[in-house]
Amino acid sequence: MNKLIPALAAMLLALPAAAAKDQLHLYNWNNYIAPETVKRFEEACKCEVVQTYYSDNEELLAKLAAGAKGYDVLVPTGNAVQALIRGNQLKPIDIAKVPNAKNVDPAVMNTKFDPGNKFSIPYAMSTTIIGYNEEKMKELGLPTDTWAVIFDPKYLAKVKGRVTVLDSPNELFAAALKYLGYSANDTDEKHWKEAADVIKKAKPYWAAFNASSYIKELTVGNIWLVHGYSNDIFQANLDAQAAGRKFKIVQGMPKEGAVLAVDSMVIHKDAPRPDLALQFMNFMLDGRNSAELTNLIGSGNPNTSAAQYIKPELKALPAVFPPKDLQAKLEQLTDLTAAQRRQRSRMWTEIKAGK
Amino acid sequence: MHRPPYLLWAAALFAYAFLYLPLIIVIVYSFNDSKLNAEWVGFTLDWYRKLADNNEMLQAAGNSLLIAFVASVVSTVLGTMAGIAMYRYKTRLLPVLVLTPIAIPEILMGVSLLIFFVLLNFTLGLLSVALAHIAFCIGFVAIVVRARLTGMDESLVEAARDCGATPWQAFRLVTLPLIMPGVIAGALMAFTLSIDDFVITFFTAGAGTVTLPLQIYSMIKIAVTPEVNAVSTLLMLLTLLLIVIASKVSPSLLRAS
Repeated sequence: MNKLIPALAAMLLALPAAAAKDQLHLYNWNNYIAPETVKRFEEACKCEVVQTYYSDNEELLAKLAAGAKGYDVLVPTGNAVQALIRGNQLKPIDIAKVPNAKNVDPAVMNTKFDPGNKFSIPYAMSTTIIGYNEEKMKELGLPTDTWAVIFDPKYLAKVKGRVTVLDSPNELFAAALKYLGYSANDTDEKHWKEAADVIKKAKPYWAAFNASSYIKELTVGNIWLVHGYSNDIFQANLDAQAAGRKFKIVQGMPKEGAVLAVDSMVIHKDAPRPDLALQFMNFMLDGRNSAELTNLIGSGNPNTSAAQYIKPELKALPAVFPPKDLQAKLEQLTDLTAAQRRQRSRMWTEIKAGK
Repeated sequence: MHRPPYLLWAAALFAYAFLYLPLIIVIVYSFNDSKLNAEWVGFTLDWYRKLADNNEMLQAAGNSLLIAFVASVVSTVLGTMAGIAMYRYKTRLLPVLVLTPIAIPEILMGVSLLIFFVLLNFTLGLLSVALAHIAFCIGFVAIVVRARLTGMDESLVEAARDCGATPWQAFRLVTLPLIMPGVIAGALMAFTLSIDDFVITFFTAGAGTVTLPLQIYSMIKIAVTPEVNAVSTLLMLLTLLLIVIASKVSPSLLRAS
């Protein structure tokens, strides 16, 4: 025992130090970069990519706010980028070292919270849309290109108990606001009340508020229609095909527009290797590397030079490359003020508690 | 009066089913030949093969085991000492100090440890996680050891001292063997608490430090494949093995005393 403890202590200390090789620390979502892309980057930079994962933007924010460091590149979503900029957590990007930034679609650049893209460059995106079981929707003769199918009792009556919506006040309110013809970021209290009424009327027809297992429910065939994330719906179809199901799960882009979430690459202010971070950013903005992620998980791709590398069956999906006329109707959610957040959560509680 | 206690049996059966059915389902589905794992398709060992090739998962498992081992060894030594001290010197402050980490909400402990490490400029990694785990395991070991001491006959130690044993000899030859079941139980508890801890680990782990719970949690977002079941099954086997070993080392551990 006397010898064991120092030996173990030495092991614990030695483990991080043993990696003398150059390392890039990527703090990323799980399964959010293709393994072959990582391998090629490691060859190009003669370094090792060490990934750590978070499953929620709030997790990332909490950890960094408490002062954790050691990460080079992070891939947070729009409003989390905003929070990180506000918290002085990011290092400005030396854009001269990222020539491939020119490949990014101008439509997603120059956001309100990061004008001129001083801190962030879009990596991939997803939309919050409709997902449905193609056979069932055809059988029932329901439309699949409008939020009405999620909110209008006239349609819902036919799919009662086979519908789920996201368990997220912001996403669901945004969808209801879009359905009513308002902006997803509308803050008019009257419009919020209208949206809440729409939700309350539709609620009896929904099977559940579900943000986690709806992929599986779709794949198995228990649920026929969901309000969900485009990547998840894509995944549900892959799973359904792999399991030999007779139906297809299809993404439906509502004509009223939808919420767009853009995940951007940013460099942490205490990044041990900002040089590798810039090299990595530039590498990921290359069309081929960016395309590999889309091919893997069906994510929306903001990279204009990626199209030629993307599988043809994916290229046609509106969630991968939103058509131009629709692009104007896609909105990124902005942060609510504290008072608005309280108001919304009050309405949400009322919705959830009501019968 | 001699009616068989049906109700008691039913209640016991229900309680055991509630405890063990989920575990059995996890194990059964680790052999399921379907990535979705929503219904039974067929038997396969593929997920175990995949697991053997999954470096990330194996490294996470390795980290978890190393941390749990170190945390349980160190916290058992310190916790045993704390338990004995609490028993012998009945001060008011000591139990408060030792037991507070048990009562503090995990999230609070995680955040404060992270802030503390950052303040000290301590590099986050396996060591910071191990230290954090030791910190919250000590209290649990101390409680178990103290409980064991309370049931011990103090006159045995006095007899040993009368016969000429030094305090150290009396401890090593009399006290320690008597409280051994408590010490082992404490060590096992520390090991299990450490290996499945998520919240505190999440905050104290640094860039690139992944433990099994962190790895599994980040995968759940995408959907749980039977690979997660497979790794959980192995973990269960390990725990079972530990209990069997412990009961061999100290047969009285599993017996009601």
